[in-house]
Amino acid sequence: MRAWRPVLAVAALSVVLAGCGSSGSSTDDTPAADGPWEFTGGSGQVVKADKTPTRIIAHAGEAAALMSFGIKPVGIFADESVKTDLNLKNLDLSGIEILGEEWGKIDVEKAAALRPDLIVGDWWPAEKAHSGMEEGVDEKSKKLAELAPVTGVTQGKSIVALAEGYEDLAESLGADVNKPEIAANKKRFEEAVTAFKAATATKPSLTVAAMAPADDKVYVANPEYAPELLDLQSWGLKVMNPASPDPGFPYWENLSWENADKYQPDLILWDGRTFTPTVNTEWSKKQPTWFKVKAAKAGAVVAWPAFWLHTYGDFATELTKLTEAVKAADPNVGN
Amino acid sequence: MSATSRYATRTSGRGGRRATALGPGLAALCVVLAVVAFLSVTMGSRSIGLSEVLRALGNLDSDGSITSTVTLELRVPRTLLGILVGAALGVAGAILQGVTRNPLADAGMMGINSGAAVLVVFAVTVLGVQGVGVYIWFAFAGAIGALVLVYAIASLGREGATPVKLALAGAAVTAGLVSVTTGIVMTNVDALNELRFWQVGSLAGRYTPILTGVAPFLLIGLAASLGFGRVLNGLALGEDTARGLGQNVTRTRTAAFAVVAVLAGAATAACGPIVFIGLVVPHVARLLCGPDYRWILPYSMVLAPIVLLLADVLGRVVAAPDELQVGVVLGVMGAPAFVAIVRYGRLSEV
Repeated sequence: MRAWRPVLAVAALSVVLAGCGSSGSSTDDTPAADGPWEFTGGSGQVVKADKTPTRIIAHAGEAAALMSFGIKPVGIFADESVKTDLNLKNLDLSGIEILGEEWGKIDVEKAAALRPDLIVGDWWPAEKAHSGMEEGVDEKSKKLAELAPVTGVTQGKSIVALAEGYEDLAESLGADVNKPEIAANKKRFEEAVTAFKAATATKPSLTVAAMAPADDKVYVANPEYAPELLDLQSWGLKVMNPASPDPGFPYWENLSWENADKYQPDLILWDGRTFTPTVNTEWSKKQPTWFKVKAAKAGAVVAWPAFWLHTYGDFATELTKLTEAVKAADPNVGN
Repeated sequence: MSATSRYATRTSGRGGRRATALGPGLAALCVVLAVVAFLSVTMGSRSIGLSEVLRALGNLDSDGSITSTVTLELRVPRTLLGILVGAALGVAGAILQGVTRNPLADAGMMGINSGAAVLVVFAVTVLGVQGVGVYIWFAFAGAIGALVLVYAIASLGREGATPVKLALAGAAVTAGLVSVTTGIVMTNVDALNELRFWQVGSLAGRYTPILTGVAPFLLIGLAASLGFGRVLNGLALGEDTARGLGQNVTRTRTAAFAVVAVLAGAATAACGPIVFIGLVVPHVARLLCGPDYRWILPYSMVLAPIVLLLADVLGRVVAAPDELQVGVVLGVMGAPAFVAIVRYGRLSEV
């Protein structure tokens, strides 16, 4: 408790400073109106401020989303090294303070020194928490929420809605979302969706399952809590819904290796966090029942870009890869 | 059996009758173990009819069907691993309790688990190793290294490795290694993930190469362990008495620690830290057969895999199609069992 007093003091001071400095600093940062600002986050909660926030701290993917609309945060916290985080690939992070490179660990003292006026993290409906403040996160890290209002778009039913939500947030923060280079990404995304729908339409009987083999068991993703899988379903891809997801952590159904073949999809969407081109062969040698999943044996596996997607551009790129996999897939493998 | 009758004539009449029943008792336990092993092969998180299991067992070349694969390539190796690891942990616990004359001694207390964990973490973070099949060897080395370190520290000073010094050294080394492990794991997600998998004792997902990898060590260790009955009996009378009987106490301790290091190290490397078996089973064995280590050791060796396999089958059946790690089941079962033993008041008889 004692260790936190200086941090809280800095936080309190920062609020005062932000209030005093408002007239001076806002002129060069953003052309947005100085008037009261508000935004309705994914939790349904409305966050308000006397003036448009300019000093934003964001979780990695959310930061990437804002940056795609030209809003540069002052600080980023990531779940892994910012060098390997897929969200941040190809982004210029110069001038941005890195506040964490491991899930659940945020340097709140550093964050307080940045005097943030908004914290941005996805809203996770299953856990009822924003990124960075979930169950299991360091108690110290959760103090981030005390530095400034927290908001974010819901990881609910759709990545498209997620991307749109950050578009709205960026717009409210003063971004010009109609700039040509921004519009180009959105157009590329719309074309990718059209191509994907066309591909699934030619294979109406093709079934897929989103899976993650692990040392002790096999995990099957539950689309109900995976917005990207719900998007794929809505575009015509038959992503299997597991029959009995783990009640405590409903993102997955856990199968013992004896039951690895419970689902027989035609194509396996393999958790992108563990997928490599050789991983399917490696698992066939490690676990005798992995190749009892016929699609695995047939080599019908493709990386599945899970939770990290936040922008039209990234989603377009990944969707195009999936479209190719759907085109190449044999709808009779799992029969 | 001549050893039995010789022992019987040297003890009281009460013990004499009991000792003669110990041989058949051990044989009966072996039968129980065979039954439990059969259960472990026939019951699992996947429901397979008995006839199908028997057909798979009768046709030892896997015919490629899922029932045959599950039976022959998952359940049989898993059961064999359970028997070997259980026997190793049981007998290692009995030897440790005897050699340290500490009723609470088990492999975990002597730094085995923490030593294995620290090298697993080292392998993952520094060498980039992933997958239990590779880092099992680091776990093995770490377990042995920690036990050697504990013994070396306890041996410092004139009177050598006394039980109290062993317990203190074990606690100190464990505390040090755990803090190193925690420090690394806090800053490395890969290490955290691998350790999270390994740190819950489990027989699941330990595929055949792991069994064949550790089996030679376990078999040699088990064979060697049975030779310690007489010297442990001597030690149980007190160090001075043991010396008076002509025993070289230091040599006994060193040899016993070497065997425990191989047994518990290999078992822990293969399956992660499996709790309570090494602690509780020797006490149950002692309740059944009295203070003679020539019986406690083989009883522990047969009782422990019975308990381990039963717990594993239970974990598979209650959570199907998922399964619970045996370490979790044993934790739930082991605590009340231990309390019961304490209440019987037999702990002090080590």
